[in-house]
Amino acid sequence: MLEIDNQVVEKVLLRFIRDSVHKNGFKNAILGVSGGLDSAVVLTLTQRALGSEFTFALLMPYKLSAASSLTHGRLMCERLGLDDEVIDISPCIDAYFDRYPSGERVLIGNKCARERMAVLYDFSVRKKALVVGTSNKSELLVGYSTIFGDSAAAFLPLGDLYKSQVFDLARYLGIPQEIIDKKPSADLWPEQTDEGEIGISYQELDEILYRLVDRRERPDELEKNGYKRETIDRIIGLVVNSQYKRTMPPVAKMQNRAPGIDFRYPRDWNK
Amino acid sequence: MWYSKGMKIRGIQFSPVLGNVDQNLAFHRTRITEAVDAGIDLVIFPELSISGYYLKDLVYDIALRPDSPVIRQFEEWSQKIDIVIGAPFEEKPGIIYNCAFYFSKGQRLHTHRKVQLPNYGMFEEQMIFRPGNEFRSFQVGDFTVGLIICREILFPAYAYLYYLQDVDFLIGISNSPARAMGKEGFASFRLWERMGEVFSVHFNQNYVFVNRTGFEDGMGFGGGSYLALPGLGIVQKARYLEDDTLDGQISLEDVRRARVASNYYRDERPEVVLKELMRILHA
Repeated sequence: MLEIDNQVVEKVLLRFIRDSVHKNGFKNAILGVSGGLDSAVVLTLTQRALGSEFTFALLMPYKLSAASSLTHGRLMCERLGLDDEVIDISPCIDAYFDRYPSGERVLIGNKCARERMAVLYDFSVRKKALVVGTSNKSELLVGYSTIFGDSAAAFLPLGDLYKSQVFDLARYLGIPQEIIDKKPSADLWPEQTDEGEIGISYQELDEILYRLVDRRERPDELEKNGYKRETIDRIIGLVVNSQYKRTMPPVAKMQNRAPGIDFRYPRDWNK
Repeated sequence: MWYSKGMKIRGIQFSPVLGNVDQNLAFHRTRITEAVDAGIDLVIFPELSISGYYLKDLVYDIALRPDSPVIRQFEEWSQKIDIVIGAPFEEKPGIIYNCAFYFSKGQRLHTHRKVQLPNYGMFEEQMIFRPGNEFRSFQVGDFTVGLIICREILFPAYAYLYYLQDVDFLIGISNSPARAMGKEGFASFRLWERMGEVFSVHFNQNYVFVNRTGFEDGMGFGGGSYLALPGLGIVQKARYLEDDTLDGQISLEDVRRARVASNYYRDERPEVVLKELMRILHA
C-alpha cells in the first residue's frame, strides 16, 4: 500500500532540491541535523543534489537532548564529508526559563524548536544558504510539529512521503543502521518518542492516513478493513485541528484583492 | 512540398521560468536556432512553453495578444523552420485561451484553443481560461495535422474527431505533473503512453507527445516525451523528469502501411457513431 519506487523518488527529490535552491537565487542550502532519520535523509539528498561544498549542517543540541543525537548527527556529517557545526542552544533556552520558569516540558520543547529555527534563519543569511525543512507527510497531516519552529523552512522535500516511506527511502540511500533502528523522537525531552506522543505506531498511522487522504476512503470503509473506529476518529481529529499549521493565517478581506485570498500568484512567481 | 516524403521533428522537453516571457522567449530562440542548424523541419515545445503552467493571476499580466511582438517573433523564425509552442492567448480583451500555435512559412498557420480545461485537485485552469470549442485539422505540406493539448489527450473522442478528418500527424503538447507514486514509479506516466498506443495503433497516426519538466510550487512535471508511429506504437522516448530532446522522423508511407494492414480507417463508420450519439443524447 505504501510502497514507493525509491530510485524515482530520489531522482525527483534531487531535482526538487536543486531547482528550489537555484531558482531562488541561492547556491547553498542549510538544515538542522538532529541525529534522527528525517534530517539524515534530507541531508543525504541535499548533499547529493548540491555537493558537499554547498551543503551546510547545523547540530543544535539542548542539554536534555539524548547523547546519541549529537553522535548520529556527527556520523552523518562525517559520512557525507561535511563540517559539523555544533551550536549549543542551552544558554539561550535556560536564560529564558530562568526569567519565566515553567514545569511544562512541552513549553521547553517548543522553545527549543523555535530557537533552532531562529539559529537556522540567522545562519541562512550568514552562509547565504536556503533553509531546507525535514517534515514528512505523516507529521504534516497530524500536525506533529511546533508552529514556526521545526515547521519553518523554504521547502520540504519529504512533505509528501509518509514516515514509513521515509524509512524505506533511508534504507535505499544507505543511512546508517543505528539511525534507522532507533525509535523516532522529536527529542524535546528525555525518553520522548513520536509513537508514544501520537499514541499509535507509524505503520498504522500511515496506513490510516493513506487510506483517508490519498485513497479518499470513508471512515466506515476503514472500520470494515479492521481499523478501530476510535483510532480512526482520533486521527481525523488531529488532521482537522492542525489545518491551521498547513495554511497561511487568514486575512480579513476588505478590498477587491486581498493577499492570500484573491491576490492569487504562485509562490514560484518569476522563478 | 519540401516535407512530402517525411518530416524531421524535434520535441524540446524543458522547464520554463514561471511568468517570465522574455527569458522563455530567449530559450525558444536558442533551441530554434539549434534545430535550424540540425536540419529539423518542425520543433515542438510543450504546453504553455512561453509562460509556465501554474499562472493564477499572472496570466492577466503576461497573456499574449494577437498583436504581440512575441507572436511576430515566432512568425519570423518560422520562415526557416516550423514551430509549435504553447501560450496563454488573450484573443479578445479579457478573454484568454490556453493555446497551441503552429507557425510555418512566416505565419501563425493554426491556433488550437484548449477545450478540456482541468479543474480539480491541483488544477484550476477554468479559473483563468475560457475553453475552446473545436478540433480542426490543417495542412502542412502533404500532412494533415491536428493539435491536442494535455487533458484533451486523455479523452479519446477528441483524437477520434481528428482521425475522422484524415489527420495523419497528431501533435500533443502537455504540462503533466508526475503523480500517484507506487512501487512501479509514477502511475501518471502510463496515462499518456497508453493513449499514444491507441492513437498510433488504432488511429494509424504519427503521434508525438511533448511534456515539460521542472517544478512549480512543488508540482513536478514528468517529461517522458515520446514518438509513436502508425501501427507500431511508441518507438522513441525522452527521459522522465529530466530536460531532454526528442528527435524523430515521420512519414506518410508509415501511415499508408498501417492503414492497409489494419483497414481500421476504411472500415470506420462515423455515421453509426453519430446516429447512436444522437439517440443517446436525445433519449
